[in-house]
Amino acid sequence: MSAPALRAVDLTKRYGRLTALDRLTLDVRPGEVFGFLGPNGAGKSTTIRLLLGLARATAGRAEVYGVDAGDVARAHRSLAYVPADVALWPQLTGAEILHLQARTGPGTDLVYRDELVERFGLDLSKPARTYSTGNRQKVALVAAFATRAPLLVLDEPTSGLDPLMEREFRAAVGQARQRGQTVFLSSHQLAEVEAVCDRVGILRAGRLVEVATIGRLRGLHRSEVTVSYSGTAPLLSTVAGVESVETTGDGQLRFTVTGPPAPALRALADAGITALSVREPSLEEIFLEYYGTQAGR
Amino acid sequence: MSTGILPSPVTAGLTLPPGPGRAVTGLAVRQIRRGGLVVAVLITGMTALVTATYAQVMADPAAAGSLQALAGNPAIRTLFGSPIGLDTAGGFTVWRVGTFTAVLLGAWAILATTRITRGEEDTGRWDVLLAGRVPLRDAVLRHVTAVMIVPVGTGCLLAGVLIAAGTPASGAVVHGAGTGLLGVVFVAVAALAAQVFPARSPATGTAVAVLGVTLLLRMIGDGVPALGWVRWLSPLGLTALSGPFVHNRGLPLVILAVAAAVITLAALAAAGRREIRGGLVAPATGRRPRLGLLGGVAAFAVRRVLRPLTGWAIGIGAYYLLIGLTAVSVTGFLADNPAMAGQAAAAGFDGLGAVVGFAAVLFAILAMPVGGFTAVRMGAFVAAETDRRLTLLTAQPISRARLLGAEIAVTMGAGTVLTTIAGIATWSGVTTVGGDLGLVAALSGVWNTLPLVGLSLGAAVFATGWAPRWVSVIGAVPTTGGFLLLVVAESVAAPDGIRELSPFAHLAAVPLTGVDWPATAAMTGLAVILTVAGIAGYRRRDLRS
Repeated sequence: MSAPALRAVDLTKRYGRLTALDRLTLDVRPGEVFGFLGPNGAGKSTTIRLLLGLARATAGRAEVYGVDAGDVARAHRSLAYVPADVALWPQLTGAEILHLQARTGPGTDLVYRDELVERFGLDLSKPARTYSTGNRQKVALVAAFATRAPLLVLDEPTSGLDPLMEREFRAAVGQARQRGQTVFLSSHQLAEVEAVCDRVGILRAGRLVEVATIGRLRGLHRSEVTVSYSGTAPLLSTVAGVESVETTGDGQLRFTVTGPPAPALRALADAGITALSVREPSLEEIFLEYYGTQAGR
Repeated sequence: MSTGILPSPVTAGLTLPPGPGRAVTGLAVRQIRRGGLVVAVLITGMTALVTATYAQVMADPAAAGSLQALAGNPAIRTLFGSPIGLDTAGGFTVWRVGTFTAVLLGAWAILATTRITRGEEDTGRWDVLLAGRVPLRDAVLRHVTAVMIVPVGTGCLLAGVLIAAGTPASGAVVHGAGTGLLGVVFVAVAALAAQVFPARSPATGTAVAVLGVTLLLRMIGDGVPALGWVRWLSPLGLTALSGPFVHNRGLPLVILAVAAAVITLAALAAAGRREIRGGLVAPATGRRPRLGLLGGVAAFAVRRVLRPLTGWAIGIGAYYLLIGLTAVSVTGFLADNPAMAGQAAAAGFDGLGAVVGFAAVLFAILAMPVGGFTAVRMGAFVAAETDRRLTLLTAQPISRARLLGAEIAVTMGAGTVLTTIAGIATWSGVTTVGGDLGLVAALSGVWNTLPLVGLSLGAAVFATGWAPRWVSVIGAVPTTGGFLLLVVAESVAAPDGIRELSPFAHLAAVPLTGVDWPATAAMTGLAVILTVAGIAGYRRRDLRS
């Protein structure tokens, strides 16, 4: 089997006493779109800086397609990067920056680049000092998506984009996936992650707390079930995984289920169920469940 | 629609904290206090040291004799001004360190002013500041006032230490006031430039150019008696005209004070007429792409250096052209003056050797601006890393060693270009006025400083790898620090061991004498070691972004 697009093994970064990243072990498979979630200060950007060799790990190792992340001249031949806060050379125009990136980068599809410039509505004749946050981000996005690098590392790439551009961004991620490119996407836009990612990793206080497909994440979390029944009220309070049972009307119940729903379904079997609806949690609800009640640590 | 019944704004129940302007002043002071303290201590410390040791030095006939010879050296006269009061401790001190401290204070004033005004505005931090209750003009005024505290304080301290050292109070006050006012004038000049230009680097460049031109005017006025009046046009000339301890004139100081006030008012008027993040000069909003020199890191490093190199080349070229043009008259004037000719001969400048010797001394000084240039360029490289402009390049398949190596090679190349321009400018100046200095001799003289320039660059590269916050300071240590050490050591007759710590003590006076090859090899070797160590540090450290 080929090497993972990204691999972190016990990756640790300490700044003095502060442990910004604690023994992160993670594989990102070639061809997948991987979402990387976590609240501010969880260590997402630190992880990306280590994966890109911009910072040196205190312990552990990071690899890009089997190449040590510290060997940037080789490792960066297979990746393109969009930083969280894009800063450009103020005196260069957008066109000049794209040219510089193409000439120093891992290989660029110039025709596709022109198409992306068109789609993102970017005016390339302006010097970068006149660009807004969103426009600076677009320059970096166009430069990255136009490469044929097998891995795209995107750190909060849409924080400055309007909804129209956000749509273009999702389309560009989709096209990258079709070409077989791997995408590592760090983001706070949970709807966006939900829409484009195959798997997500959740980071909290420097530690990876979960890596799963979004479907599986949902399974791990509370689904909200609403039932209407004609028989006797089902006894749910003792059923494993069921919580917050409440009567919402005459012959109507609402409760949450965590984990396999089979025991709850068995308990409902004799109640003469006339209607049943299950609402899976959104990624936002899952995210808030991870952090909302455990702010800090 | 009636708004009369709307409740008053939400601030109604709040009390606004008083004195938002004071908070802005506090912010400005915080940004300059460390550098300001260093400059004030350096200037007063040097002055105090030279004054305090004057009697001791003059008591030693050998030391006194060599200082007399130095005073007779035309090149030294061009650099330090006319030696008019060498027989008093105060007059000697003003002559020996006055120009250096004035230029140091002026340069610091410019850099600090544009950094905390236009520089902060460039980064966008003033957007937040000015969204508060303080308008742009007030913010500019408060920042400018904060910087002005430093030259004013330095001037007071300077007068204080001179009086404490026992020099006449009148001269001490004139020197302190002159130096302080000079600093204030350059704060005002930099503040005006920061309002006119919409970015920090052209503002700094323009103000530094004004400093350079005024220094040149003073040198012309000192060196060419017929043009003595041009000193009235230059702040540095005015401080020289005030003649501390000798003439103690007040009028030049009044002119300086008026100039400072007028320029400050002009800066405030300009601040009132522009937009935030804009200048009086509007930047271009769009242009055709210029794709030259964007093909790789080395080419891009060349592209980035071209504009600053042009500015420095004009400044250094003009300075050395002037030196060439005046070399014959300055050395001739001294040769015609029997009293001074004796001193000049003692210093090794006689007959035909005069122009060559004059040039040789001034070529050695070239290491200071060119070494400073390399330190500033490495400082700009680290600044690009810190404010994340470099991030997109560091994510490309380019090793750190190659990224930094390209910058080092291009910077050293640019330094070589600068020295070459200085050599050609001096040669053309001397040749124009019929003096005797060959092109080869001139070039060998300027190129002789390259190992010292390399040492400065090596120190800056070392700092890039191991102490990136201190690049510009550490990079300036071999040249500016070395020159300072030499001047102080010679003025206070310090032991040879201390004097020889300065690289300038090992720089042969080429083309008057031959190249000191062992010293050249030692400096080059040290430069290489520092560079290699710096690259090693840069490869393993975290990038600052």
